[in-house]
Amino acid sequence: MVNDRDSQKIVDYMKNFARKHSLFVMAYGTGCGAIEIPPTMTSRYDAERFGIRGAATPRQADVLLITGYLATKTLKRVIRVYEQMQGPKYVIGFGSCTINGGMYWDSYNTINLLDKYIPVDVYINGCMPRPEAVISGFIKLQQLIQDGKADGWKHYQDNLDDYRENQKKVIKNWNMPDFSW
Amino acid sequence: MSNEKTQNEQIILDKLFESFSNIEGSVRRERRIELKVSKDHVLSVLLYAKEQLSFFHLSHISCVDWLEDNQFELIYILWSHETQMQLFVKILIDREKPVAPNIDYIWRHANTYEREIREMYGIEFKGLVGEQEFILEDWEGMPPMRRDFDTKEYAEETFFDRPGREDAKDVREEIIERSREELPDFAKKYSRD
Ligand code: SF4
Repeated sequence: MVNDRDSQKIVDYMKNFARKHSLFVMAYGTGCGAIEIPPTMTSRYDAERFGIRGAATPRQADVLLITGYLATKTLKRVIRVYEQMQGPKYVIGFGSCTINGGMYWDSYNTINLLDKYIPVDVYINGCMPRPEAVISGFIKLQQLIQDGKADGWKHYQDNLDDYRENQKKVIKNWNMPDFSW
Repeated sequence: MSNEKTQNEQIILDKLFESFSNIEGSVRRERRIELKVSKDHVLSVLLYAKEQLSFFHLSHISCVDWLEDNQFELIYILWSHETQMQLFVKILIDREKPVAPNIDYIWRHANTYEREIREMYGIEFKGLVGEQEFILEDWEGMPPMRRDFDTKEYAEETFFDRPGREDAKDVREEIIERSREELPDFAKKYSRD
């Protein structure tokens, strides 16, 4: 049955449908943006009606939120967390800090363009995005998942060397395993 | 100063002048006294202020980089709960060989401030115990808070810019014209052209 093209489509549709409605978000906050997560999750905006909820460990999570500026020191931990997550996995970049450095664009200690270090599927702009914007970002991600386009994690695996090169440029002392998945 | 409001401040300042001959100082305003001390005397001044003048609390140690004068300035900010006054003790140290006395046996939490200053400005504190690394990780090169460290240049070299921003416009000229101000010298290096 799976050899049939059309039935594969149906299987994919079912898979993506299931994935997009159970987005487990890694509870890891960087920068100012983590403060927008509690209102998004609690009763006023209630993100759980979209199937978005928290996960305690990287192994159980599907989505990694980078909620704002990322110090080079934190980047090291983020890479470690990202690689421990199991595919399919998605990254959402919050706020202008992840897009172009935001107000920390000339800081010696925060990275500017997150996409060079880990693959970002959806950016949410704003400084800081409000919960409505956050939820709209999640819905965008759900659409991408449904269309099968949220494949940053595959891109990461295929181009691991490029990413590593960028990562090692800022993380001078790479005392982590070279693969952690 | 014969201002009535700052009488108490003046009394404390006079006490300091009586005990130490080689210090300069003034009352900056209500509840704020400022002292300029030489590096060799700062320990005794701080101890005297703590034990005799009830400045029990060290609020902060701050550092200023006087690049043009080739000096660092350390500012010890003390607070007295009894008299509700702030005492600023300032010392100047040489920028080429920046060494300052360690005061973490007077106030233990000074250790944290000193380690931060050591990391950010590269000032050595004689006898300071603690990991060399404090906030930064694997930092090489010039301490980043020194004024001759160019953060913009460093960030451009190290990090990536978002493509498509090359034609971003410098709107400061327009703003300056509109408000009839001048661009200060230090800001000119941030011009895009
Ligand atoms: S985009 Fe703004 S709110 Fe978000 S981390 Fe950066 S400075 Fe903070």
